[in-house]
Amino acid sequence: MTEPPSPWWLDAPPSRPLRVAGGIQIHSTRGSIAQTWWSARFIEVLESLGVGGRLARGRSYARAGQILELQVDAGAAVARVQGSRPEPYRVRVGLTTYGKTEWAAVEQALADDAWYTATLLAGGMPPEIEQLFGSLGLALFPAGGRDLSMDCSCPDHAVPCKHLAAVFYLLAERFDADPFQVLALRGRDRETLLANLRARRGGGETAEDTAAQSQAAPLTECLDRFFTAGPGLADVGRIGSSPTPPDALLDQLPAFPIAVRGHRVADLLRPAYRALGEQPD
Amino acid sequence: MLAVHGLWSPGRGLLLWAEDGSRPSTTGRRSLRSARPHPFALPTSELAALHPGKPTTVTLLLPSRSSGPLDSPELVRSVRVGRTRSAPSLQPWTVPAVVVDPAELDDPAEEARYGASVAHLRALARFAADLAARGRVAPTLTRGEPGPEARWRPVVQGLDAVALDTLVAAMPPVGRAEQRPHRGSGPGTGGVPRSGPERTGQDPAALVRDAVAVLVDAAVRDRLARADEPVALLPPRRGRIPRRLPATEAWLAALTTPDAGIDADPGELEELARALAPWDRIGTEPTGPGRASFRLAEIRVLDDPADPDGPGTDQTGDGTRWQLQFLLQSTEDPSLLVPAERVWSGGSGALGRLIAAPQELLLAELGRAALVYPPLESALRQARPEALDLDLDGAHRFLTEGAALLLAAGFGVQLPSGWDGSRRLGLRLSVRSTATAGVVTRGGLGREQVADFRWALAVGDEVLDEEEISELVAAKAPLVRLRGRWVTVDQDRLRTGLEFLRRSRRGRPAPTAAEVLALAQADPADHDTPLPVTGVDADGWLGDLLTGTAERTLVPLEPPPDFRATLRPYQQRGLSWLAFLSSLGLGACLADDMGLGKTVQLLALETHERAGGASGPTLLLCPMSLVGTWQREAARFAPGLRVHVHHGGARARGGELGTAVAASDLVVTTYATAARDIDELAGVEWRRVVLDEAQAIKNSHATHARAVRRLRAGHRIALTGTPMENRLAELWSVMDFLNPGVLGTAQRFRARFAIPVERHGDTDAADLLRRITRPYLLRRVKTDPTVIDDLPEKIEITQHYRLTREQASLYRTVVDDMMEKIEDSDGIARRGNVLAAMAKLKQVCNHPAQLLHDGSGAAGLGRRSGKVIRLEEILAEILAEGDKVLCFTQFTEFASMLVPHLTARFDQEVLYLHGGTPKPKRDEMVSRFQSADGPSIFLLSLKAGGTGLTLTAANHVVHLDRWWNPAVENQATDRAFRIGQHRTVQVRKFVCPGTVEERIDTMIESKKALSGMVISDGEAWLTELSTGELREVFALGADAVDD
Repeated sequence: MTEPPSPWWLDAPPSRPLRVAGGIQIHSTRGSIAQTWWSARFIEVLESLGVGGRLARGRSYARAGQILELQVDAGAAVARVQGSRPEPYRVRVGLTTYGKTEWAAVEQALADDAWYTATLLAGGMPPEIEQLFGSLGLALFPAGGRDLSMDCSCPDHAVPCKHLAAVFYLLAERFDADPFQVLALRGRDRETLLANLRARRGGGETAEDTAAQSQAAPLTECLDRFFTAGPGLADVGRIGSSPTPPDALLDQLPAFPIAVRGHRVADLLRPAYRALGEQPD
Repeated sequence: MLAVHGLWSPGRGLLLWAEDGSRPSTTGRRSLRSARPHPFALPTSELAALHPGKPTTVTLLLPSRSSGPLDSPELVRSVRVGRTRSAPSLQPWTVPAVVVDPAELDDPAEEARYGASVAHLRALARFAADLAARGRVAPTLTRGEPGPEARWRPVVQGLDAVALDTLVAAMPPVGRAEQRPHRGSGPGTGGVPRSGPERTGQDPAALVRDAVAVLVDAAVRDRLARADEPVALLPPRRGRIPRRLPATEAWLAALTTPDAGIDADPGELEELARALAPWDRIGTEPTGPGRASFRLAEIRVLDDPADPDGPGTDQTGDGTRWQLQFLLQSTEDPSLLVPAERVWSGGSGALGRLIAAPQELLLAELGRAALVYPPLESALRQARPEALDLDLDGAHRFLTEGAALLLAAGFGVQLPSGWDGSRRLGLRLSVRSTATAGVVTRGGLGREQVADFRWALAVGDEVLDEEEISELVAAKAPLVRLRGRWVTVDQDRLRTGLEFLRRSRRGRPAPTAAEVLALAQADPADHDTPLPVTGVDADGWLGDLLTGTAERTLVPLEPPPDFRATLRPYQQRGLSWLAFLSSLGLGACLADDMGLGKTVQLLALETHERAGGASGPTLLLCPMSLVGTWQREAARFAPGLRVHVHHGGARARGGELGTAVAASDLVVTTYATAARDIDELAGVEWRRVVLDEAQAIKNSHATHARAVRRLRAGHRIALTGTPMENRLAELWSVMDFLNPGVLGTAQRFRARFAIPVERHGDTDAADLLRRITRPYLLRRVKTDPTVIDDLPEKIEITQHYRLTREQASLYRTVVDDMMEKIEDSDGIARRGNVLAAMAKLKQVCNHPAQLLHDGSGAAGLGRRSGKVIRLEEILAEILAEGDKVLCFTQFTEFASMLVPHLTARFDQEVLYLHGGTPKPKRDEMVSRFQSADGPSIFLLSLKAGGTGLTLTAANHVVHLDRWWNPAVENQATDRAFRIGQHRTVQVRKFVCPGTVEERIDTMIESKKALSGMVISDGEAWLTELSTGELREVFALGADAVDD
């Protein structure tokens, strides 16, 4: 699909973004987007830049699912946003990462007070974390536009453009769902951070528990017990897990992005799970 | 002898193959590098006879010598085979096999032995079926060959993962011995390399995973296909169906189809696959979930409690302090509880197997818990939090708020031993009463005869003494240690409790029996006492009443001399129990098994009380069909009782009714009549209201139930033969009629008992319900040893029923028609006409269609015949008891009408034996009926089935129509009542009052009674009667018809 050719004399045609199927749609459909204090800190920076109408357009971009991809890595959030041109724009929001020494100090402080990790793992972020970073001479959040580098491959020379604004909103939602992403942007992804914290806490070697699957003996070494079962066969039936409602698993499944004529797929599946549990064996 | 083995062959499924001990153990073919045919494997044709399935061939690597494979340990040979000494080696053999359904694994053939590989496959199949039944499955999309498919995949987590590992470890080597064709090498090259993956065998983990995946998908589809209601996953569609469904819909639809194939747009499928990716990850992590658990513990402090400079950690005054300890608990295996300390140090062994990243999980759980219960935060402000130290107030706050909050949020909470929440301050009533034995014979109890009672303060079951009470009053903290255990004390409640005690000592009237019962049994929330009543101690008759043992301790009552029946011992006990409850004003439900004589016990009670000077009318409600029975039984056993039947179009009303009632001891009416005349009946002050077949009021909203509640009576009795314990709404209805309010409101009852017991199988609720109802309920069953000893081995019951209107008018027509013919004939013709009249009338009584031959078939059969209606009621009761029954009829036409009708009505097979049944079929029917799980209803023609057979599995015999010859009928009865019968046999003979059936029955009974004559020939004597006599015998009485 290509855009209809626009007459050369028209200066700036009102650009309509190309519709996207399967883009990342933010969940908030109205009102403010940042739900938590820590994601609000990023939106505040954006809003402090005084970009007016582009903010609202960015919000509707995010709601319309124009963002094809968003990757949060150490030092930058990189996204592809579908604009009015066939080629999606590349958007990058950069933030300086901490060095090794800084992180070592942060990790030690976090490891000394389990409250922080406990709250982060429970999906929250204790406000005191700003003081914790501050006491180490670091800032967790950008103080203003100067702390951020913002790039977009669109022709709009205003920074931030609506594409950048859209990425900010999606980023805020990512932060809401997983506060570890804030730390990831500063240079420590969740897995590394948790592993380092575990190491500083001491103990916690899980190697013994993740024992590699023992290789089955070659058949040539089994000739004397070729027809004999290994130990434990009689116990298999007894090991079984305690009964839970047959549809308990459905509640464990993450949200499914596709709906069927307004119905949630998990709800449509529920009668099948109930029927499974209803019959005697 | 055969030895059967099995294996899972990816792409093919479950394969079974067998060794045959009667075949030669060696092959003549020399060992080549290619596979040779297995010399003693069973050919597929014979294999499929054992286990039906699709024939196939499999190449197996088996321990062998050069001339042939070694026998498996399961194989038994008739001829010993000489042994060679060469060392065994692995050789490929082509083996005939069948691809079978998993169900075959549970159906072993007797002539074969089964190897461990079959047991292993069976365990695999059961594991898969169990995952499906528990819903441990997730839908997914596969996109390999032959195309996109909707599949159910197993979700194996926690203990299931442990079971799966066990299955992998337990696979016998033969289970992974299939030699699969090389990828890349052409077909037919079955060469065996000396080493390489082919010699190590298949990977057992991969085989087990593949098998479980395929079997789970099949098990889910099978279960969904067998569901009571078809499972449709797609929402109903309005408008036209698109030619090609959107991918997600096509996928959902294909989850329930036998072939899982999906036809959808590839782009949409791609999108669906992406959406499903997070779902596909569920259960792939090797370990399952866990949760934090909090344990409130008392820690002994090492400091000397007497040391005034101690660190002050001794908060309780006796060398202990409180601590809330953190633990991690596996959700899969809740017995696995690991203290936080061990989680931090990493040595958590088994926990690591069940929970991934235990440290992070514990932290996340603690973080979540702190949101619910903020005091936890302070304990988390350290590197490795293990516990929260609590002071006494803190412990109390945790007990009263925190514990419940954490529990509600899904965390585990363990409270100190001895702490169970019920150990709260409460009131306990102790009551003394006289011994049970004599109470009834001494002439009854007054309502006030609770001899002595005393209220006391108690904690749980323990009554507090004065000293302990003053200790509690003096206590400053809300937690007080009492008799070595912790108790929360609310000073306000303590004060109101003490005030209540003071008042109760100052001349409060003693509670009545009903009040004591209410206190002991009602929901604590319903009491109007200032503190909850934690218990009632009672001895003597009150104690026996509470425990439901009064029937056994009462002295059995001898009915007065003018009562004309001899009561069996258990009936005497029933009588004294009824009299006992009556004297206390408590409603009684006599729920003896059918056939144990509830009628006679009630009549004895009425006679007994009237002999003692009681007066006033008793109103008895029963179904229409039993009015005559009551009337007759009362006349027979209790002639002293004045009985008035209030029923029928000509029944008394107004003043006339008042006079009739005043002049009666027993007024018998039907539920329908009572509901119609309720305004008049409710105006009478009844001495007692009795409900016979009390299940008639089971629906508390129905007219009948509402009507009987309006009746005013000094005492209420319900008679029922159905075990009400299983039908809780019915139990409530009857109990609430007997003792209004005893089980609370209907809504309350549903919430407190019906739903927990019926839906969730809550045994605590069931126990409580039993405890509440047992004082009012007496149920003896026929198998009760104390009843069996008392019983005759055969109980004869005349089973009354009524004709329908259609039957009655048909009956009249037949009588008019036949009497005319009889009058106009004589000699042999007259005899013939009399017998024909008899036969026709009997047919009418059976069913109009039997006379009219209108072939109305099974549809609506029941509604046209009063006899069939009654028969259905009786069969329903018999089947509900799990008993079996023989039904005899002379009319094959009637029987062949009944068979399809009863089969449909009771949804089970009905056996039918008649003159035309060939001998082998007959024997087969008899043996099936006699087997424990065989059919329960056996219909027999009197002539064909009346002799020779042994049908002792039945303990009920029903004679649907009469032959008027006791010898013939007894002979038929004796099919069940003979050697080998260990139970009492109940024999029912159908008789409709006001018809030829009843008249002849009476004549025979009176003749029998007069002269003991044996009427040898069924009905021939009837032909000797005069026309006038015949007219009387045949005439239709008013009481024959249902209203």
